[in-house]
Amino acid sequence: MSHDASHDAESSTPPRTVYVVDDDPAMRHSLGWLIGSLGLEVQSFASAEEFLRALKPDRPGCLVTDVRMPGMSGLELQDTLARAGSLLSVVVVTGHADVPMAVRALRAGAVDFIEKPFNDQLLLDRVHEALEKSRRAWESAERKRAIRALIGRLTPRERQVAALVVAGKPNKVIAAEINLSMKTVEVHRHNVMDKLEVASVADLTRLLLEAE
Amino acid sequence: MVARLLFVFLLLLSSHGWAAEPPVRVGVLAYRGEEHAAVVWEPTIRYLGDHFPGRGAEMVALDLAGMDAAVQNRTVDLILTNTGNYVDLEARYGVTRIATLQSGRSSGNAIGSAIVVRADRRDLTALRDLRGRTLMAIDPDAFGGFQVAWGELLDAGVDPFRDLKDLRFSGFPVDRVAFAVRDGTVDAGVLRACVLEELAAEGRIDPATFRVLGPRTASDFACAHSTDLYPDWPLARLAGTPEGLAKQAVVALFQMPPNHPAAKAGGYQGWAVPRDYQPVHALFRSLRIGPYRSLRDVSLVDLARENWHWLALAALALLWWAAHSLRVEHLIKVRTAELRAVNLDLLREMAERRRAEENARERQREIDHVARLSILGEMASNLAHELNQPLGAIANYARGCTRRLEAGTGRPAELADATRAIADQADRAAHIIARIRNFVRKRAPQIEAVDINDAVRAAAALCADRARSAGIAVTLDLADGLPRVAADAVQIEQVILNLMKNGLDAMEGCPPADGIAVRSGLDGEGRVTVTVADRGHGLSAEARERLFDPFFTTKPEGMGLGLSICRTILESHGGHLWAADNPGGGVEMRFVLPAAQEQKTP
Repeated sequence: MSHDASHDAESSTPPRTVYVVDDDPAMRHSLGWLIGSLGLEVQSFASAEEFLRALKPDRPGCLVTDVRMPGMSGLELQDTLARAGSLLSVVVVTGHADVPMAVRALRAGAVDFIEKPFNDQLLLDRVHEALEKSRRAWESAERKRAIRALIGRLTPRERQVAALVVAGKPNKVIAAEINLSMKTVEVHRHNVMDKLEVASVADLTRLLLEAE
Repeated sequence: MVARLLFVFLLLLSSHGWAAEPPVRVGVLAYRGEEHAAVVWEPTIRYLGDHFPGRGAEMVALDLAGMDAAVQNRTVDLILTNTGNYVDLEARYGVTRIATLQSGRSSGNAIGSAIVVRADRRDLTALRDLRGRTLMAIDPDAFGGFQVAWGELLDAGVDPFRDLKDLRFSGFPVDRVAFAVRDGTVDAGVLRACVLEELAAEGRIDPATFRVLGPRTASDFACAHSTDLYPDWPLARLAGTPEGLAKQAVVALFQMPPNHPAAKAGGYQGWAVPRDYQPVHALFRSLRIGPYRSLRDVSLVDLARENWHWLALAALALLWWAAHSLRVEHLIKVRTAELRAVNLDLLREMAERRRAEENARERQREIDHVARLSILGEMASNLAHELNQPLGAIANYARGCTRRLEAGTGRPAELADATRAIADQADRAAHIIARIRNFVRKRAPQIEAVDINDAVRAAAALCADRARSAGIAVTLDLADGLPRVAADAVQIEQVILNLMKNGLDAMEGCPPADGIAVRSGLDGEGRVTVTVADRGHGLSAEARERLFDPFFTTKPEGMGLGLSICRTILESHGGHLWAADNPGGGVEMRFVLPAAQEQKTP
């Protein structure tokens, strides 16, 4: 059925893991069983603290959490994950719903705020949705990391030239600004396009923006 | 019979001689017969007759009955009779003495009795010695020959008719008595005083043979005697006898010269002014004879009079007893009635009190029940949530199963685990419902031996969701081996739940790190204690003071009945509830319950 936090998720593969945090063992276990019926990997935790201890912040996936728990509440967990730049998408499930709580959860980026007892299909849809969102975030993060790796290959002079190119300055202006010959500037510019595997200044500009 | 004939004859005589004045008729007591009377008194009557010139006097000899009839019918003018008879007639018919016979032996009273015994009877020295002896007298009617002695004997404490062995009457002649005494036929004899001396003078007895008992001395009386002395025979006139006639008679008698043949015949010295016969009355009264005969018939009355003080005492006692009995009876009745009334009142009061107590208990039950409903009502959302946990879990398991079965991915072992979990959660839900039902069920209290820790755990279970949802930790610190308490488990659970809920309420909005702590233990007196400590804001002075007042509350939605009910419940269990400050901040609610008596198991 589900697997408690026993091993690290494969960060190289698309994230399909669902994390369940609930202090009620039966609820936790049964949620895992239900979500597991989708063929997803489920890991469950009895408290927010336990989950945080087991999780690497950049791990993607779906977090299904109860709100009211002894110790850290579900909403506090959500905040903590967000501050840590987590890629997880959160579905808040609670038996004690009230409007301010729901608003707070949704503003903090929760995929949904589901009140127990819930329609299983709704929950599973939200879990899918969350996984998709997390996958996108993960992909975006992966791409950013790849771009940064490309950028890492540029020399400092090449990075200087690339920034000025993206700023839309012609080679002549660039040469004057950084006290290089026109010829040298052109060589640097060519190397940048080459190393970053872009063909045009527009592509270069998009790539660098993505890396921000 | 003779008297009657005489009477008729006299009547005839009187009617015949009416033209001339009839002779003065003098009735004479012939106590020893007419003949004797004629010998003794005829000369005296003749002497009197000589003093009624032209008229004369005739003697009418009468016995006692005849005397009575003659006086009653006034057939005589004067009577000459003995002292006793005179007193009788005086009392009954108003005869009046006009002269008293003067005997030769005394110038004063001359009639008395001598009670004689043989001189050699040393055992008889006083009148009282005659008790149980034999006594002889002349005649019951003899004045000196019995009656005077009779009175004297009574005075000495001897009633001749009761206390003697035998009382005999000899009749005349009087010497029979003397002879009987002399011969020892009787122990003692009664003689008119002077008879003894007369007999001796006649030489018929030897005076030395006799001794007089209880001898008296009187200055002018020479004869030995044992008694008071009384006047001698009187001459008396009837009530209707003319004054002149009486006067004439008296004058004649007083002028009788000494040694007159009449006096000699009568054995007297002369006549004197009438003496006082009152002592005779007194004697007769005490003997109840003569005019006082009638006293005899009412001897009971007399007895009563004699013993009046005893009778009075007895009557008083009887009266007192009767009054007392009546009073007691009355009091008993009154008291019984009072008691019955009081009893009825008491019964009624007891019934009323029972009813009132039953009502109060019923009301208390209602209040407890409402309080339990209320406290659960306040936690309804928590309870709903708590119930939703197993229900939600069941739904999850079931749907997970369905999806796996539809997708054909479920492994049988997996599915079996899930359905087992479903059953477990159904049980859990059922337990929650049972717990709630048990808590809110309307029921009569049942006192049993309760493990206080069980009650704490049950209460904690009821408010677990509430604590959990509020993020408030609940710590149970329960001592092992506590004695059980005799209590109604649900009521105690209610108290603990109420205290825990108050604690949770008090900690609303406080840092969740601080929880409430429930501790059980024993106090110094072996009582079981339970403390519910919160880390809330504590109590204000006013709140502390009014904490247990009904309808006092610090909560906007509160009724203010919880603690008041808790205290009532605990006090009905012989326990006590109070509030104290939690040293770490907040409030400690603590209660004690006496340990149940250990039941000896055979």
